[in-house]
Amino acid sequence: MAFALALTAFGPAFGPAFGLAFGQVNPLPPDKAFRFSARALNPETIETRFAIADGYYLYRDRIHFSVEPATTELTAPALPEGKVKEDQFFGRVQTFRGSLLVTLGLKDPTPGQKVVVVAESQGCADVGICYPPQVQRVTVAMPAASAAPTRPGEPPKKSWFNY
Amino acid sequence: MSKTNTRWVFGAAAAIALALGAYLGLRQEPPADATALLALSLPDAAGKEQSIGQWRGKVVIVNFWATWCAPCREEMPEFMRAQTEFGARGVQFVGIAVDQADKVDQFAKDLGLNYPTLIGGYGAVELSKTLGNRLAALPFTIIVDRQGRVAHTQLGLLKPDQLRSIVGKLL
Repeated sequence: MAFALALTAFGPAFGPAFGLAFGQVNPLPPDKAFRFSARALNPETIETRFAIADGYYLYRDRIHFSVEPATTELTAPALPEGKVKEDQFFGRVQTFRGSLLVTLGLKDPTPGQKVVVVAESQGCADVGICYPPQVQRVTVAMPAASAAPTRPGEPPKKSWFNY
Repeated sequence: MSKTNTRWVFGAAAAIALALGAYLGLRQEPPADATALLALSLPDAAGKEQSIGQWRGKVVIVNFWATWCAPCREEMPEFMRAQTEFGARGVQFVGIAVDQADKVDQFAKDLGLNYPTLIGGYGAVELSKTLGNRLAALPFTIIVDRQGRVAHTQLGLLKPDQLRSIVGKLL
């Protein structure tokens, strides 16, 4: 506690003393501000997640997914609706904060294969900075078909966005 | 000295050391001189190569920005006002856009931009990293004095009073 108080009290005083001008910000690096992860839900579906740090946001129309190897294809991912923000230049744009889950469907998946999920995104911080588009990669081991059996009576694992 | 006091003194000393370390570690280390920046040539929106060095001897304010960066666009009108106000006294703003030429050209026309902006593309982000932009984020601004030394680097918005305070000392 004393440490925290002392840091708060002394911290700002060091800025000018060491040539640090006022108004500087120390934001997170983009991979920490927008943590990306992915996991297989079943042999043909991957759930991806952006964990967006407080004070940061991603632009909906700047999020793109692909998978490697190039022989594997994705069905068109459906992003949820974001929060509408009026942008002076681009008009109405949608943004995401907090946690963003997007389910990806693999076309003709090979059970048991490893795929690399490639997520491109672009976002900003409320302190008034923006990051260039980031590319993040996560390797996902897809389960073999037998590892995730469809329970009897359950509708086929046709993804809801795959219409 | 009581035990509590001793503990407080040690605690405070450790906190100071920690704060100092944190500041030294976190602050943007500006390069000592702007030789690399002044040696840089990039095309303008019309495709003509422009050297930053052509403004050597002035207070050169190089602003890395992009049309897709809302905070960047937000501070540009202030830069335009400062260009008008201080231009005759030897201040030159120069934009380096991390963007495509057509988008930059359209935006500059819409805004009535009164200082040159060069097209750096996404490669300009890497360039800005070598100039102290550790996080490669925008806006990032470098103020170079008349002697070609880096006087200030700024990640994030350069507030009007801050800009005027820095520029005032360099004129």
